[in-house]
Formats: sequence, structure tokens, C-alpha cells
Amino acid sequence: MAGSGTAHLRDDPRVLVRVEHMVVEFPIHGGTVQAVSDVSFDLIEGETLGIVGESGCGKSTTARAVIQMPRPTSGSVLFRGTDLTQLSAEDLRSVRPDLQMIFQDPISSLNPRRTVHDIIAEGLRVWGDRGEWSIDKIDELMEAVGIDPRYGERKPHQFSGGQCQRISIARAFVLDPKVIICDEPVSALDVSVQAQILNLLEDMKARYGVSLMFISHDLSVVKNISDRVMVMYLGKVCEVAGSDDLFARPTHHYTRALMAAIPGSRAIVDEQVLEAELPSAIDPPAGCRFNTRCPAATDECRSVEPQLRPVGDGHFVACHHPHLPVAAAS
Amino acid sequence: MSDDRSNMLEIDDLRVEFSTAAGSLSAVDGVSLQLAEKESIAIVGESGSGKSVLARTLIGLLAGNGTRTGSIRIGGKDIDALTKKERKHFFGVQAAMVFQDPMTSLNPVKRIGAQLTESMKYHLDLPSNIANDRAIALLRQVHIPSPERRLRQYPHELSGGMRQRVVIAMALACEPRLLIADEPTTALDVTVQKTILDVIDELRAERNMSLILITHDLGVAEGRADRIGVMYAGRLMELASAKDLFSGMRHPYTQALLRSIPNPDRPSHTRLHPIPGRPPDLLNPPTGCAFAARCRHARPECVDNKPPLIEGSAGHFFACHFPVGTPEGEAALAENMRAGVTGAGLSLDEAAEEFV
Repeated sequence: MAGSGTAHLRDDPRVLVRVEHMVVEFPIHGGTVQAVSDVSFDLIEGETLGIVGESGCGKSTTARAVIQMPRPTSGSVLFRGTDLTQLSAEDLRSVRPDLQMIFQDPISSLNPRRTVHDIIAEGLRVWGDRGEWSIDKIDELMEAVGIDPRYGERKPHQFSGGQCQRISIARAFVLDPKVIICDEPVSALDVSVQAQILNLLEDMKARYGVSLMFISHDLSVVKNISDRVMVMYLGKVCEVAGSDDLFARPTHHYTRALMAAIPGSRAIVDEQVLEAELPSAIDPPAGCRFNTRCPAATDECRSVEPQLRPVGDGHFVACHHPHLPVAAAS
Repeated sequence: MSDDRSNMLEIDDLRVEFSTAAGSLSAVDGVSLQLAEKESIAIVGESGSGKSVLARTLIGLLAGNGTRTGSIRIGGKDIDALTKKERKHFFGVQAAMVFQDPMTSLNPVKRIGAQLTESMKYHLDLPSNIANDRAIALLRQVHIPSPERRLRQYPHELSGGMRQRVVIAMALACEPRLLIADEPTTALDVTVQKTILDVIDELRAERNMSLILITHDLGVAEGRADRIGVMYAGRLMELASAKDLFSGMRHPYTQALLRSIPNPDRPSHTRLHPIPGRPPDLLNPPTGCAFAARCRHARPECVDNKPPLIEGSAGHFFACHFPVGTPEGEAALAENMRAGVTGAGLSLDEAAEEFV
């Protein structure tokens, strides 16, 4: 997987975020590690983009680099035509209200010493009233996310994990953002609560018209909430496709292995085992980064990096030997 | 279920209470269970259902403020009747446990080899060189490459999946007949999860071990266990073979749990069905069925009387007055739907929208 390439980027006036050739490096003892390595993708207004992959594949870093935390080492991040990577700190600050984030751990991401009302209203105190919400409409927003406004003076520890995640969602929506990055927002929750939060995100998205970038290691969750899904491996993009299309027709061998590993699924995918360990991101394999674990790897895969190319309507894969129905293989 | 001799584990009316500052909390509330030799059972439940407390109690790891009543027999031996001497070499030998978090269940400042051989030297009195050879064989069995080298490494040098394999190898070191795995793959990626569960399956078959798999994931339970028990608020709500449970679930809680999980076989944006309400306060448990307040089938009877766990059909137990898929259950649901509110006061207007 390795995929670089920009064939999957769309020419559409509704494109809100367009990331091209983004690289994120972190300094480590004696060198650098490329957490994100030449990744390109785009996000259309009102769309939910799911990003999946194993731990360490760079999915969180990719999403965070979009909001310039951290700033990418190279590449561009266009938000409504403005390249965020070129903005000064001050100009970037003025864009921030449009880009919000929801974190994994609902309890530690809320300040324990402040009241829920203050936590939700803080953005408005900084920026003044914007769009939909104002300080005197906080109660209404709390109702929209399913928290009783009478509890506004309580502190986060008085709420359950699911309720805290609702508060985080209210906090993310209060500035009327265009994009919300959800970094594993339901991973710490029980399944019954997870369903409430996923439904709430869908409702809020439909009601207030935002785009979501939804990061999760749980493929079932990602399939449920996403319009389009991007599969990542070791800092590269493997496959991008519409959510239903990807699950009906996974073509990258890594995507297929992920799907075969979903517990209890009536796998449409034949058994594929990933035995070997995930290679080190400090010294990634040459060619396709997945070649050390791929059942279909050839010499070409060990030397030439595959580029993303179309294999169907809106379906792109970075693989020299994708798994295609015989008739469609070329 | 079967006669006493073939039962690896017998639990009878197990209750665990913790005394807390806020009062006495009932974490396990009357669980009875038999596990045959070579059999595997999965205990499924959400956080706070008591599944981990149950597992830890079985292996004698009850926190200081906890009290237990009810009997536990492992391999035919009542664990309360063990002499001090027997007890010393019982837990960890007859019954062993794999914990959830491989990062914290290994000692960070001791080499893998030392940690693996420790129990063999202590419990089995093996000399170092033999314990070492056995440790290498164990690592090979859990599919760790170049085991000789691994013995000299520290836990931080291994990935999460490798560490969990080491933890499994440690649990198996003294050849237990009962393995208790408490969420062994929760901290791991799905691909690693699959290989770890495969290793456990394989070893269970090889060694004729019995297995108790504690998990919050019905999907994991489905593929890996002969029988599945569903726990809620410290009680077993339903207990059946994996096949019966999924093809003919009887308890409304089991059904609600399954319906709340996103199903990868359904199209994206399919509306999910959360369980309305919250679990009961275990400091103040309800007199009737613990699930009544969140249940679509609840009738006034459910609020007043705790349903016992009964065998509805061969090997299929459930604790419900109005089970799913029975005439009484359907009648109760229809009645509640008509009234728009359940016998326990849950409004179905909202829930109806969520549940359609």
C-alpha cells in the first residue's frame, strides 16, 4: 500500500477540504519517522469521510494535521480554497472555529473544574456569537444533544461517559463549524451508548449541515456512519471508496484482511491471515508498504510503489495486483 | 446439565458484595453455572455488569472490601475447602487467568524469560534449565518467532499483540485445566485480535482445556464459544449454546444488545437502536427485574418480581417473565405498544422511533 497519487481527488465545487501530498514527520532519537507519507484526499460539504486502519497507521495524525495540529512537514491542506499550511498563526486562528474536534476519551477531554454550561459556551465567549448559537441559546443546544439544561451547572464528573460525549458534541457544534474531526469518539463507550452517540452525530449532522472526518479502528462503526471510507496502512492510503461499495467489493488485500478479521461477520471475504508483524514506520518497506504481509506480493511490489487508480465508480485502490472480479481485471 | 464428574467448574448461587463509602454494592447477584471439561463459555455484558468481578472471584482475586457467598468448585474441589498448602499451588496451576491489558499485566523491569519461568519454578519446582526449555516451547506454541531471543527481552521491546501472547503463555505455563480470559483482545487491533483468539482456540483444543471468555463483544463471543451467558447488573439474563442464542434469543436485553451494534452486513447510515435509559444503580438495586426500566416487554409484574433463571428449552436458560418470541412476550410487547408506555413506565414514543 502504498499508495500515493491523487487520482481519487474530485473536481467538485462543493469540495470543502482538499489535502494534497501531505507528509507529517516527527523527530525521534536519531532521525525522523514519517507518520503520514504523501497522503491526499478530499471532503465534500455534508459528507462523512471514515478513516480506518490499525494503530500506528497514521489515521489520527492525518486528521489532526488537517487542522494544523501538528503542522504538516510538506504538502497542502486547502480549506475552501485557502491553503492552511501557508497561513500565519494569527490567520490560522481565525479559521479554527470552522474546524472542530471530538476526542476519544469523553471524560478527560472536559475540564473537570468547570461547569458543563461554561464548557459548552467557552467558544462563544472567545469568538462572540456566530451563526446558529449564542450564549442565551446554550440550553437549546444542550437539549439538541440530549442533556437536560437543568444540569448546566454540574461538573463533568457528575455525568456518565456517554453523557460527557454528548457534552463534547455540543461543544464542537457551538461555533457552527464546517468540519468536525471525530477521533475514535465511541471507542470508550459501551455498545448501547455507542449507538446513541452515533445516532446523535447523524442527527446533528443532518440538522446543522457539517462534514465529518470519522476516525475509528472499528470497521462496522465506520461503515455505518460514513459516506466514503479511506483505508490507511503505515502512513499511506490503500483504498478509497464509497462506504457500501468498499464493504461489498474490497479490492486491496489489506482491506480484505481487515474485513476478514471483523469478529462475527458473515464474511464476504475469503480467509486471509496477517501473520507477520506490522513493520516499523521508522524504516518502512520499499515499494508497496504492505508487501511484507501481503498474500499477493511480487517483486514489483517490493520495488515499485503503487499509485491510487480507479477500479470502479469512485473506487480507487493503490495495489499492483488488486483483488478484482475476473472479467474486470486488466 | 451434565453429571458432576465431567464438570470442570461448578458455581452455585455466587454473590459478591462490595462495601463502599456509599453503602453495600451487589456486583454479582446469584450466578449459578456449570462448565464441562473442554467446554468454552463466553460471558458477555456491558461495563458494570459484573462479568470481570465474576472472573476474578473464580480465581480468588477479590478486592479487600468484597465478600463472597455461594460455592465455587473447580475440578471437583470446593475452593473454600482447600487447605493452605493446597491453595498455594491451586490458583495459577489448576485455573489460570489472562488479563485484559498486556501493558500492565507484565512486569516492565523483568525479562520475559524470568516472568515466564517464575510460576513453573515456584509451583512445579522445576530447575531453571528445564523451565527455560518449557518457556521456549510455550512461546513457540503461541506463535512467537525466535523464542530464544524473546526470553532475553523486556516487555517494552514487544508489540501489544506479542505481549498478549506472552501473557497467554504465562497463563498456560503450569498447564491449567481451566483458563479464564478477561477481555483478552480488547486493547488490540482487529487483525491482532483474530490471531490471538485463534491461538487460544488452538491451544484449548490441543490441551483439552475449559475456557471462560469474558467479553463485551457479542461478535467475539459468537465465533469462539460453545455457550454464551449474557450478564446484566450482576445476574445471568440468558444462557444458551451460541447457536440457540443467536437463532432464538429469548431475553429482551440480549435482543436489545444485539440490535444496538452496527452490523457490517447492513448498508451504511442504517439507523441504530440504542437501549433507552441507563443501567440500574447497584447500590440500590430494583426489587424486580434489573432490566425492567429499559425493557420494551416490561409489565407491572416485572417491576415487582425478579424473574428466576429457568430452562425454557433444553439447555436454553433465561430470566424473563415475557420472553422474546413467545406468546406471552409478544402479547406484553403489543400491550405496551398500544399503551405507548411499558408497565415499568418507559415511554415507547421515543423508543418506538429508535426501535423501528
